[in-house]
Amino acid sequence: MDNNILKAEHIVKTFTKHTALDDVTIEVPRGKVYGLLGPNGAGKTTLIRIINHITAPDSGVVTFNGHQLTAADVANIGYLPEERGLYKKMKVGDQAIFFARLKGLSKQDATKALKEWFERLEISSWWDRKVEELSKGMAQKVQFIVTVLHRPELLIFDEPFSGFDPINANVLKREILRLRDEGSTVIFSTHNMASVEELCDNISLINKSHNILTGSVRELRREFSDNSLEFSFLGEQSKLTEALQPFTREISSNGIDRDGFLSVSLKLNSGDDLRDAIAKANEAVDLRSFRQVLPSMDEIFIRSVEMFNQNNPQQ
Amino acid sequence: MNSQLSTIIAREYLERVKRKSFIISTILMPLFMVGLMVLPALIAIFQTPEEKVIAVIDESGVVAKTLQNGDETKFVVVDKPLADILGNEGYYGVLSIGANIVEKPSNATLYTHSASSMSLENYISNQIKETVESIRLRKYNIDNLPEILAAVQADVNLQTFRIDESEEASETSSTLSYFIGIIMSFMLYMFILIYGQMVMTSIIEEKNNRVLEIVVSSVKPTYLMLGKILGIGAVAVTQILIWLIIVLSFSYWVMPSLMSGVVAGANDPELMAALGRLSDGSYVLSLFVYLLLFLVGGYLFYSSIYAAIGSAVDNIQDASQLTTIAVLPIILGMVLSPSVVADPMSSYATWISIIPFTSPLVMMARIPFGIPFWEIALSIVLLYLTIGFMIWLAAKIYRVGIFMYGKKPNITELIRWARYK
Repeated sequence: MDNNILKAEHIVKTFTKHTALDDVTIEVPRGKVYGLLGPNGAGKTTLIRIINHITAPDSGVVTFNGHQLTAADVANIGYLPEERGLYKKMKVGDQAIFFARLKGLSKQDATKALKEWFERLEISSWWDRKVEELSKGMAQKVQFIVTVLHRPELLIFDEPFSGFDPINANVLKREILRLRDEGSTVIFSTHNMASVEELCDNISLINKSHNILTGSVRELRREFSDNSLEFSFLGEQSKLTEALQPFTREISSNGIDRDGFLSVSLKLNSGDDLRDAIAKANEAVDLRSFRQVLPSMDEIFIRSVEMFNQNNPQQ
Repeated sequence: MNSQLSTIIAREYLERVKRKSFIISTILMPLFMVGLMVLPALIAIFQTPEEKVIAVIDESGVVAKTLQNGDETKFVVVDKPLADILGNEGYYGVLSIGANIVEKPSNATLYTHSASSMSLENYISNQIKETVESIRLRKYNIDNLPEILAAVQADVNLQTFRIDESEEASETSSTLSYFIGIIMSFMLYMFILIYGQMVMTSIIEEKNNRVLEIVVSSVKPTYLMLGKILGIGAVAVTQILIWLIIVLSFSYWVMPSLMSGVVAGANDPELMAALGRLSDGSYVLSLFVYLLLFLVGGYLFYSSIYAAIGSAVDNIQDASQLTTIAVLPIILGMVLSPSVVADPMSSYATWISIIPFTSPLVMMARIPFGIPFWEIALSIVLLYLTIGFMIWLAAKIYRVGIFMYGKKPNITELIRWARYK
């Protein structure tokens, strides 16, 4: 079988006044966590809705498990929308069963699976309470469970951590990774770049209705590397600065690090200078450690979006 | 049936039927209606009438002694000139009768301080008329006059029959048909508006708290809309069935005993006929079957419009403009119903009872008059065919509308949404 669980190819979707998606292609590998990133209003939610068969694209093809996506495939997808709510007057348990039955589970199966999940997320005591009594974070847990309960092959989470405190956000991250390890594929849309580095294997960056960057997180970070290094050493900083002068664009002191060594951050002119730079530094001071600093997804996000916007000012 | 659809219908239905407000209103509404009918009678009973004293100046000398005091009216013969008592506030009014009243019956005048009432005027002129007539009759010197008069007296009560196509005469009473027609079309009006609005507010609520986004992640938007319309419609049908049971049991058990009581006392063929029809269970049942058909039809027709509007707006205030246009035909139907029952067989009444926009209300108002079956059938068929189209159109708008936030759309926009892929 195809290694990609989902392919969306050349998707175009226009609304009356603007183009939401313009020739966007993404390929989501099976069993991975796929990040769908992009500024507000870039077209992510529209793309997700197309993948989830809620709206139809003007042109382009979505392939799921090797065949063209149909309404029946939605049973194999779990989608947690960004804007989400529950029926306020309904009891939590009844409501969860209602949603589970919409996903095709029988009442007995739904109840059994729900009890397990409620146990795991420590919310069993809410079963008979009305939704309006729950806090936002509590309601989010219920929504999360409802999304994953029917064990779909593909899970789509749109901003899953909004409204969560750090402790519960971690619980959720753990559960998402556990689901991935059990074989689910996850599409994960967020503005929280730290969680992208933590969770995502691959990403696509959607900006102004275009897919402007796509690839594995690890490779992208290397690709976007600006040759930043961090040295810690014993000795005089001025000697080190002098020795590295020919190779560096920038050099700045970080003071003394945790281990009591002096520390500097620097950017090399070129990656090819790395060996020479280390040799020179070693002569000048007593070098204790060095490491390459890869750019954060935050930086990659900002740089890509700004570059795209500069090159395409008309949009 | 599709299991998702039935799950949604079940939720919409149970959520509402289990509410206290539904149970209370279902039981209280019939009581309220009965109350409305009984209330005027009760008010009349407990109201103590003000006595009106009327001074009588009788120059003829024959009328005053025959005037009978009524419940509210008391006559006092005075022997003063008219000008002297006109200013006397102690009297409600002054009745002046000319000397030649027998020859010239118009020679009687009533002066009052405040506006007199029609009933008072009739009360007085009838009495004068009787007196004058009997004086005139006596002039012929007929023997046994009172006996003759009693013998010729006749009370006419017109009973109307209509000859059906089956050549079987069925009893019709237009007054009763009139009231049943008006009540039925009013019931439809209330049901369609109340339950249609319920569909709309419920959709707006789902849209606002974003639960809709979660539902459409597993269900097609069309199913959600359809499920909501059908679920709430089932609530309406439940309510009307409960009322049917109340009314039917009333006509089977209460009416017969009421009838026997009435038979002993009153002697009013019109009332008897009315009571007779209402105690006829099969007649009541047939009315209810039609009511149910038009209720479901009218509800589906208008609730799909309400659903489309609800999907397009963010709050009820924004919806008001669109709903005003949408419910115009139904209000028109309500306004036209009285003129329809006044002449139920006119071609104008026939037409607006067949065109789907107004047909449920108007046809329901006509049915008690016993119109040809084919007209009813045509009206129902047309209505249900149009519903299919309306729901299809509403679904197209709904699908787009539910994801539109923030701006207040107008009709042209709704039509454009309906054309989206």
